[in-house]
Amino acid sequence: MVTLADSVPNPVRYPPLQGMFEARKRVFVDLLKWDVPVLEGRFEVDQFDDEYAAYLIVACEDGRHAGSARLLKRTRPHILDSLFPELCASPPPSGPDVLEITRFCLGREQSANDRLETRNSLVSALVRFALDNGVTTYTGVAEMGWFQQILAFGWRCWPLGLPRIVDGKMLGALRIDISPDTPALLAANGIYRPAPLERLRFLQAA
Amino acid sequence: MGTFERAEAFLRDVCETSTEVELAEALAIVTRELGFSYFALTHHVDIRRAPQPAIRLHNYPDDWVQYYDDHSLGVSDPVHRASHVTSVGFAWSEIPRMIALTPRDREILARGDAQGIGDGFTIPANVPGETHGSCSFANPAGTALSDDHLPLAQLVGAFAFEAARRLWRVRSPLAMPAPKLTDRQRECILWVARGKSDWEISRILGVEHETVVRHLKLARERYGVAKRTMLAVHALFDGSISFTDILKR
Repeated sequence: MVTLADSVPNPVRYPPLQGMFEARKRVFVDLLKWDVPVLEGRFEVDQFDDEYAAYLIVACEDGRHAGSARLLKRTRPHILDSLFPELCASPPPSGPDVLEITRFCLGREQSANDRLETRNSLVSALVRFALDNGVTTYTGVAEMGWFQQILAFGWRCWPLGLPRIVDGKMLGALRIDISPDTPALLAANGIYRPAPLERLRFLQAA
Repeated sequence: MGTFERAEAFLRDVCETSTEVELAEALAIVTRELGFSYFALTHHVDIRRAPQPAIRLHNYPDDWVQYYDDHSLGVSDPVHRASHVTSVGFAWSEIPRMIALTPRDREILARGDAQGIGDGFTIPANVPGETHGSCSFANPAGTALSDDHLPLAQLVGAFAFEAARRLWRVRSPLAMPAPKLTDRQRECILWVARGKSDWEISRILGVEHETVVRHLKLARERYGVAKRTMLAVHALFDGSISFTDILKR
């Protein structure tokens, strides 16, 4: 199942999202050694995790977090402008129909095969979400190994600038253009997993 | 024209190709424009024995290719091996710092040099569940490499490999999905990969010896292989198990 959560005032304090913040800590801090803040030794959370962020979450059969991605509006502060402006040769695409994909996270507890399935579901959900919400372009920053994988999904990608070494890692910025034929492009690579998006109704704590 | 605009023009040429010949021609032009002499875009397999259609485009001298294939260097080439330990492009002069070289490796590198192939850049292209590959650009022997070209070569290499994947996919429709293993079969294969016998695995998992034998027999049948080593290799290759799974304790 894939869940969409958005407009949550303080995401890290919202119990249905906490499994995701814990998984992000295990992946980005423990495994990839990113230098990002950790809250209470459990949650990886930064200044972009606020009510303007949207989250797509793939759950295991038992409901636990399997994979997730965070979407930032490009009309708000976001990672490409705030942290990596040097990765873009010219001002990156912007506007209400452009979103930035960040914190693409695949839980470590899964076998390699399950992780690929989770990845496929998450990529498919990103495309579904874009088509349902009038999003025409995603932007993102990726390390080169992951960059090659993103290209291999078969959707339309284009670099936003030359890759650069940042803190010892070679990073590249790219745009992904989404159109009605994108699901077919993913399907041709065997990775399209159509599934409805369940919208998480945020309930204000009493 | 700025460096990135040049890169974009190359990428457009590479992405618009619709045949292998066109892609090879586009790569030859990019290679020349970047100031290199040679390129090679390839899957890391023994090209004469590869079971699946494998990618290989290059403009290396014929004698070198003949020698390379006669000695099945596709799988043991030190350049290829080095590209399996990184996801970022590297200069060949860095290889001794990346992997341990045997006397035979040094001989291969020297032989390439004698054929007129000097230093080069290799951009790894590793897609999960598929054979490792890479895209290389090389200078004639005796010509120094400029690090300034690495970001551009990185980008062109990444898109060129993807363009090649797209062309080859058209030629060979999507490979069969990996056979689905049960959790128990997967667990048994992990212990096979760690060198345990069926009896040892039965002790570790706390099940009957016969049960382990049956799990592994069914798993071998799913992959159509007869030997347990091949079973472990296939399961690793398609991602049913990972190196991390095997090595962690």
